[in-house]
Amino acid sequence: MGVYVHIPFCAQKCYYCDFYSVVVSREDFTSLVGSYLVSLRQEALYYRDRWKDGHLESLFIGGGTPTVLPPEELAGLISWFLEELPFGAEPEVTVEANPQSLTAAGAKVLAEAGVNRISLGVQAFQNHLLEAIGRVHRAEQVKASVAALRQAGISNVNLDLMFGLPGQSQREWTETLESAIALEPSHLSCYGLILEEGTPLEKWVSAGLVEVPDDDLQAEMYETACRILKGAGYEHYEISNFALPARRSRHNLLYWRNQPFIGLGSGATGYIQNCRYRNIPDLWRYIQCWRAGSPAYEDAEHVSPEQEMDETMMVGMRLLEGVDEASFRHRYGVSFWDVYQAAIADLLDRGLVKYTEGRLRVTARGLFLENQVSQAFLR
Amino acid sequence: MGQKNIRNFCIIAHIDHGKSTLADRILEYTGAVSKREMSEQVLDSMDLERERGITIKLKAVRLTYKAKDGQEYILNLIDTPGHVDFSYEVSRSLAACEGALLVIDASQGIEAQTLANLYLALDHDLEIIPVINKIDLPNADPERVIRELEDNIGIPGEDAVLVSARTGVGIEDILETIVERIPPPQGDPEAPTRAMIFDSHYDQYRGAVAYARVVDGTIRVGEIIQMMSTGRQFEVTDLGVLAPNFVRVGALGPGDVGCIIASMKDVRDTRVGDTVTVASRPAAEALSGYRPAKPMVYCGLYPVINEEYTALRDALDKLQLNDAALTYEAESSAALGFGYRCGFLGLLHLEIVQERLEREFDLDLITTAPSVVYQVVLTDGTVKEVDNPSALPPVTKIDHIKEPYVKASIMVPDEFVGAVMDVCQDRRGIFVTMEYITPERARLEYELPLAEILMDFFDRLKSRTKGYASLDYEFLGYRESQVVKLDILLNGNPVDALSCIVHQDKALSRGRALAEKLKEVIPRQQFEVPIQAAIGNKIIARETVRALRKDVLAKCYGGDVSRKRKLLEKQKEGKKRMKSLGNVEVPQEAFMAILQVD
Repeated sequence: MGVYVHIPFCAQKCYYCDFYSVVVSREDFTSLVGSYLVSLRQEALYYRDRWKDGHLESLFIGGGTPTVLPPEELAGLISWFLEELPFGAEPEVTVEANPQSLTAAGAKVLAEAGVNRISLGVQAFQNHLLEAIGRVHRAEQVKASVAALRQAGISNVNLDLMFGLPGQSQREWTETLESAIALEPSHLSCYGLILEEGTPLEKWVSAGLVEVPDDDLQAEMYETACRILKGAGYEHYEISNFALPARRSRHNLLYWRNQPFIGLGSGATGYIQNCRYRNIPDLWRYIQCWRAGSPAYEDAEHVSPEQEMDETMMVGMRLLEGVDEASFRHRYGVSFWDVYQAAIADLLDRGLVKYTEGRLRVTARGLFLENQVSQAFLR
Repeated sequence: MGQKNIRNFCIIAHIDHGKSTLADRILEYTGAVSKREMSEQVLDSMDLERERGITIKLKAVRLTYKAKDGQEYILNLIDTPGHVDFSYEVSRSLAACEGALLVIDASQGIEAQTLANLYLALDHDLEIIPVINKIDLPNADPERVIRELEDNIGIPGEDAVLVSARTGVGIEDILETIVERIPPPQGDPEAPTRAMIFDSHYDQYRGAVAYARVVDGTIRVGEIIQMMSTGRQFEVTDLGVLAPNFVRVGALGPGDVGCIIASMKDVRDTRVGDTVTVASRPAAEALSGYRPAKPMVYCGLYPVINEEYTALRDALDKLQLNDAALTYEAESSAALGFGYRCGFLGLLHLEIVQERLEREFDLDLITTAPSVVYQVVLTDGTVKEVDNPSALPPVTKIDHIKEPYVKASIMVPDEFVGAVMDVCQDRRGIFVTMEYITPERARLEYELPLAEILMDFFDRLKSRTKGYASLDYEFLGYRESQVVKLDILLNGNPVDALSCIVHQDKALSRGRALAEKLKEVIPRQQFEVPIQAAIGNKIIARETVRALRKDVLAKCYGGDVSRKRKLLEKQKEGKKRMKSLGNVEVPQEAFMAILQVD
């Protein structure tokens, strides 16, 4: 059970990104941030009163770029959440950060507010690749940021890396992995680039102006990541995620185990009491709603028990540990063998999944074709 | 109003020369339709017609016009389809007229269909009024068009009327010329009744409605009429004219153009070209020119989802009520399951039917590659008509095969003559003749196998001539030809629905191109899929769809499970639209791939 807070501000929009965020001019920034933080607090209290799922174990501040907020503002918000919302003992408190927006002083303020995990958007260690995807930071800044975090006492650090970038070679990807490992992060996320509709990068690629590695090269890059990170002692525990022992992302595990979570902020999604909602991806309208005292979601969907089962399988199969038959039966009163008989038989037949130690999980082959596995569970 | 004040005319033109717009202007000018009621192009009623800018079904409109001589005239305007697939319907509508407006685009000049239609009109002894349209366009060159008319067709330039259907300039001149130059209908009101059906349509409440031109005698409400080709009889329940809305009349006499409603079940009771007579005093001889609609092109139509088979049959039943030329019979394919073998007048007709089935009846269809009808002469001397590659008898039983040929007439600017010859030669064309319409424009005549025309011929012609070529063709007859069956194997298994009949000399290149094309359209699957092209037992080409290595949504979007689910559902939906052949998923377009290869 966790809380996700969306901070939809950025210094510059990355070319591949389709998350909701805005680039705000310096003049408007202070007052807009002020109003937004008030709305966030209002929304938090609203959901607190409706939350019935027990203690919260994770707070995740994502974006956007949360660290474009002044460190004191961000720290103040986090302390307030930790105080006002029903967190259990030792929650995981993660903040997403950009290497260039993280100073030693800033890191210290955040640590003092209770932040114990930082997820750094590194993506690549070659400046020409960073430029090609519109990142504002430079490779050299990563090392300094990690050092600042260690100094501030934050040892749980994730580095986000991307492969399949425009013009990226297999060699550059290997270098990126090795540079990342050298910084001794506790966690690594390796995402293949997805060309999202409507993003500048997608337009350039479809117009033939920019070329990205084809699926085969992407597959090889992914293979490389799995091999190198395993060799460096990282456990591959989810399709795109690797962690040192006991350093898995507790927050993301909530998603992959299909657990409820509160989503706060413009553009955020949440899932409580079998209802999935999506907040208006428009900062100004979001603020307006809360000024009028009404929740700012634009889409809410009740999840039926059948659909919930499907989704539990769909996201659960992303984890290499797979889905536990006994837990599934305990949660839904039926075995997945009975619900998905034909689908599982087909997947077993195709060699995409295996059933071992009471768990259904992807095979090495299935890992690369995970969409086909997840799809099979949608009715 | 007497016969002498009736004028029956049609408008003929090359495609896009502005026929429909001109008809609209005439309707508007004579007050048949007010400007406010005008949605663009009144005569094209089906949505599809509007979108494609062509007229599929001709209709007749009755206009009243008070001429400068002070008299009132009835002008029956009969619209004609503008595509070679429907040339028989064109000929029937011409037969219902005494005159024709020959519309020519002032910037394009005479095109292949202009000439084809003109010759047809002359065959029917029609009075020709040349209309040079679009004179308001900046690149209009009416002088040139007049020269073309004089030099090639022998029509005096001063006979031409200059108009802009878009702005309305010249419309009155046209109407006056119609009254002056087109002769009134000659017909004997006392003779046994003869009326020619030039169009029909199916109405949900009234059954099939026949559009007919009365030549001799009279048809009255309450009379029993008889169709001379079938002998079938019906009682006339209603008669009317379209002005352009239905206006009831008690009788239709010589020269009249109107519709006959007589509880006829479907359009096969009202065959275009047939003669209607009155049963109590039948005519001895039918009007000349009737022939039943004969499909020239066949293809298989299969539902993507097998359960939609019945829905497909119901939809075809409904379309056939309104389309006498559409034929279909059940067939089954090892690859595609149950479907229908359908016959069409041509490729356009096929596309229209296919699109209507998908749009109006919401069906997901797989269309197999169109085929012409081959005449297979067996060793025992019998002849078998084959329109489906999989129905081709074993080679040992075949003495020889004949395929249909057409006479194609192609017009292009001088500089593209070479390109046209290349394309025709490449498509097994036999050069017949070439002539210059003007010093800059040539008309080439080729004899071509119809099968080659189906294969993307016109598109190729257009692309090689910067879009200038215009094409018209007519059926010539059957000729002996060295054709063979080309089979496609996926994963080692022959797929009957991908087989085609090709000329021996083309088999190797078509086989290779087809395998390559299939490699492009068949998505990568979990396993490698070999594609082979074969003639008999001989493999002539091989390609491989490599195995899919990666299919992952890398990121889970901040817990946005709904979004991930929707993406996966979409992917799954796409898969459902594919046909599973063994364990290979094949998309719909694969079955038409043969049309897109060289």
